[in-house]
Amino acid sequence: MKLTAKLSRPIRDVGTIKRLLTGAEAEAHAQGESLAGAEHLLLAALELPDGTARRAFERVGAAPDDLRSAIATQHAEALRAIGIEPVSDELLDAELGTGAPAGTGPLRTGASAQTAFRAAVDLAKADGPSPLLGAHVVAAVAQIEHGTAARTLSGMGIDRDALATAAREELALRRT
Amino acid sequence: MAALTRIPPPDEPSAALAAVVALRRLADRLERAAVARAIQEGWTWAQVAEALGVTRQAAHKRHAGRRG
Repeated sequence: MKLTAKLSRPIRDVGTIKRLLTGAEAEAHAQGESLAGAEHLLLAALELPDGTARRAFERVGAAPDDLRSAIATQHAEALRAIGIEPVSDELLDAELGTGAPAGTGPLRTGASAQTAFRAAVDLAKADGPSPLLGAHVVAAVAQIEHGTAARTLSGMGIDRDALATAAREELALRRT
Repeated sequence: MAALTRIPPPDEPSAALAAVVALRRLADRLERAAVARAIQEGWTWAQVAEALGVTRQAAHKRHAGRRG
């Protein structure tokens, strides 16, 4: 029935969407940031149970578990490039105490996370349509040319085009 | 923290922009930690807001909402 067919995609993806957005917000919050960026969305995608995001990373020889620290490293390097020796996150927490406990406020995603999320959803729609999977998020984030996510991936020695291809290969496997 | 000693050359705007992002992130972290510490030590939201140069409503909305 037409109505059921129209509803089935959004309903099917609700769990994934919730994991992605709350996961991204939690990752941003854990790093003391008030807005989630595409890099945090990518962290959340790597935790999705479908496993396609992790496998896309592994395909290009990258360690998914290295992403979190690579983000912090990228920011530290950016500060060093202008002559500022960054205060370590641990020192900040120790000196001033950690911030408020995790999220009782509304989800706060920034522009890069919103753009990447929409692009991932569009990729899933174009893909069959396919349920929204981690590899759709990886493919979307890999297309971002500037900003923290792009610089972090580059800092990890990951070629963005290769990562996007790897994500598509993981998605193709799901269709066979 | 050392003072700003150099700015990337004009042909590297991406490095300068990345530094802006990193500074904002650092400012964000520092603000949250400093506000949390101030409130713990009995500062009022009005005092915190005054120190930050924002309205009490803005400070409360930005920080108090997450405290549950």
